[in-house]
Amino acid sequence: MVRKRSEEPRIVTYLHNKAGKLGLPVGATFELTSRCNFDCPMCYVHQCGKNAEARKRELTTEQWIDIARQAREKGTIFALLTGGEPFLREDFFEIYSAMKKMGFYISINSNGSLIDGEIRRKLLEDPPFRINISLYGGCAETYKNMCGTPMYEKVLENIKALKAAGVDVSLNVSITPYNKQDTEKIFNIASEIGVVAKAVSYMYPPIRINGEKFGENARLTPKEAAEYTVRWDLLRFSDEEFEMRAKSMREFADIERDECLGDISEGVGCRAGKSSLWLTWDGKMYPCGMMPKPVAYPLEVGFEKAWEYVNTEVKKIRLPSKCASCPKKNACFSCAAVCYTETGAFDRVPTYVCEQVDETISQMWDAYVSKSKKEVIE
Amino acid sequence: MNIKKELIKREFAGEAILVPVGKTVYDSKGLFVLNELGNFIWDILLDVETTDDIVKRILEEYDTTEEEATKDTEEFLEKLRTLEII
Ligand SMILES: C[S@@+](CC[C@H](N)C(=O)[O-])C[C@H]1O[C@@H](n2cnc3c(N)ncnc32)[C@H](O)[C@@H]1O
Ligand code: SF4
Ligand code: SF4
Repeated sequence: MVRKRSEEPRIVTYLHNKAGKLGLPVGATFELTSRCNFDCPMCYVHQCGKNAEARKRELTTEQWIDIARQAREKGTIFALLTGGEPFLREDFFEIYSAMKKMGFYISINSNGSLIDGEIRRKLLEDPPFRINISLYGGCAETYKNMCGTPMYEKVLENIKALKAAGVDVSLNVSITPYNKQDTEKIFNIASEIGVVAKAVSYMYPPIRINGEKFGENARLTPKEAAEYTVRWDLLRFSDEEFEMRAKSMREFADIERDECLGDISEGVGCRAGKSSLWLTWDGKMYPCGMMPKPVAYPLEVGFEKAWEYVNTEVKKIRLPSKCASCPKKNACFSCAAVCYTETGAFDRVPTYVCEQVDETISQMWDAYVSKSKKEVIE
Repeated sequence: MNIKKELIKREFAGEAILVPVGKTVYDSKGLFVLNELGNFIWDILLDVETTDDIVKRILEEYDTTEEEATKDTEEFLEKLRTLEII
């Protein structure tokens, strides 16, 4: 059975399926820098206070353009430009325009804080298909508390300006201990502006920054992560949709989910290393940015060889057999990257996630029951 | 013929895909997939003036009848007109 994915155009699914069968990287993430003007405590890539050091190690303009050319040769069409904060690179538009000319279908991840003035003007001349902007709070105070930078108003202004100009903007909402109290506010802001918002309360342990911190992050407890998943679902779904979802989860039935996942089975179930790849700011190739294994070095061996290695190795990965036969797997978002970052091994069960999934199923049900009781009383 | 939109053709595993760039992104957010004949016509579009020119070129390249080629060409051009590409 193939899991339902929300809102992906059919052509994208078709090309990824075809690419997966042929072993071609139709999708690639270009992590242009790890530098950032923000300091989010849960971040898996940016290291607080290390911008100057990181700058020395990141790929040059020419290296990025050359890698992009090689990716194009190998069939890459979908390109996500991310960071760190991609707009911190002074040569952003050099890389971006070169990639546009090569015919990449480009989307961008950004914290939105720098997209004004000249940057905005240039972006609007040749816009990306989509820009995903993270909104870290629903008020100035929470915002600053979360990402360390007082740019709430500025970011809102930039989001609105892009939207007004006709760019496809969507919001990424990462829920953490620092901004959880603003969850509803953020949802309402997104609705007012008229943009899609996608919230996540699960944060991967940042093992790319600290290779020892398996299973650790400045994040919510599994129980809280479940709570905010449920709160978000209460906001975004109608009563009927919520009821269906709560019931399906309780019966361990399939639900519609918007994670990047495939089915949970013995092998890697998603597109990582099968039809998509991730290039890090310092020139490594991973199947996915959350999953630093297997790793290949395109600058040394060339893009094609690097991809062949990643593609071959990913197929050898075995996930926990307990997950493949777990009754709760339809409600679960575990994947190879989750197992690895939580436990340090692909085949060990990520207990943080089990707990979050258990809690989500039961809290969804409780929320539904108390909702329907309220209706009876009213 | 004149192409009104900014589109870049990409080939992927036997598929020909048009990717919008520049200001075209504002009104075409998706990708366009060309079939084999569409791909052929797309490549010669800038060098031809009329449907007949296209049909002539198709007959040089493909084993088909004039009637069939005219019908296919008109269908394809009609699609491009609907999408305001030409
Ligand atoms: C690393 S940022 C890069 C782009 C840009 N700086 C931004 O914040 O959107 C991409 C997204 O990943 C989220 N993120 C950061 N650390 C994460 C983690 N440990 N687990 C999951 N998502 C994380 C961010 O909140 C953001 O939405
Ligand atoms: S804004 Fe993005 S890259 Fe910067 S610290 Fe926050 S999550 Fe990391
Ligand atoms: S709930 Fe736990 S055991 Fe079950 S699929 Fe998810 S991670 Fe694996």
